[in-house]
Amino acid sequence: MVIYLKAGGELRSKLQPDVDHFTRRVETEAGKPLSDILIGIGISPAFVAFAFKDGQLKRLDYTPSEGDIITLQPPVSGG
Amino acid sequence: MLSDKEKERYSRQVLIPGWNQEKLKQANVLVVGLGGLGSASALYLAAAGIGRLHLCDGDRVELSDLNRQMLYSESSLGLLKVEEASRRIGALNPSVAIVRHNAYLDSRNAAEIIAGCQVIVDGLDSLEPRFILNQESVLRGIPYVYGAVQGWQGYAGFFHPPQTACLACLLRPGAFKPDRVPVWGVTPGAIGLIQAGEVVKWTLGQNPSLQGRLLIYDGASLSFEIISVEKDPACPVCSRA
Repeated sequence: MVIYLKAGGELRSKLQPDVDHFTRRVETEAGKPLSDILIGIGISPAFVAFAFKDGQLKRLDYTPSEGDIITLQPPVSGG
Repeated sequence: MLSDKEKERYSRQVLIPGWNQEKLKQANVLVVGLGGLGSASALYLAAAGIGRLHLCDGDRVELSDLNRQMLYSESSLGLLKVEEASRRIGALNPSVAIVRHNAYLDSRNAAEIIAGCQVIVDGLDSLEPRFILNQESVLRGIPYVYGAVQGWQGYAGFFHPPQTACLACLLRPGAFKPDRVPVWGVTPGAIGLIQAGEVVKWTLGQNPSLQGRLLIYDGASLSFEIISVEKDPACPVCSRA
């Protein structure tokens, strides 16, 4: 199945977007959690704080569905 | 009761529908961390007339702080942040009572620092003490106004379990952190002021806009996105409280 990953902030360079400046098309097996999909495309889950889809928080154990557009957000720790 | 001077000082904001200056005067607000976020939130909360500001930081002012920490100036270098912040805030609004905690928040002193406060503002610069603050806020039922920044990006949220999720529903330990977090002044300024606004809304008895939600700010593209943060049934903090 195909999903689309978008990245915010400093994650963009790690995602290597190929659809537009923010988005990467990813082919993956159905039933895989997001954390495994990230590892499969070479992104350590430690570089992703959380994700969201349609305005709702999605944790890294979320299992995407065909055509999902998921935005990844980096850890942000400064003050 | 507001003095004549206070009535004059706040005369423009009391014109805002729903404003209640007396409620702000009665408020006890804790700002933990007096860096970029804490500088912005503490200054604006003081200017707005929060009655008692509890300030917590164990650090001293360094030259590399001055690009973003607007509480300080070159004459502050080497001095305790909590003392300099108190002086600056006192000069801005002497009617604000300041409670100083010259300490880094940790699991041993958190309960003492938070005691007597009605709302917590996060001005911290690392995740570990944020989890301590979050845990204390859940245990005591005190709202926790989260903020964090890096580069051009910032997050802000208002967590108040059991009505909302908590920080541990959003984040888990173990995230990557660079040795030196890149940051410039506008990012913590923007997020710190949003935090201050949420504190004031809550103090006035209004619903904070970020209650159970997270603002994702990206100054590079100037985008603001707000997402819902649902409670995590497996949250190690608020699901057990």
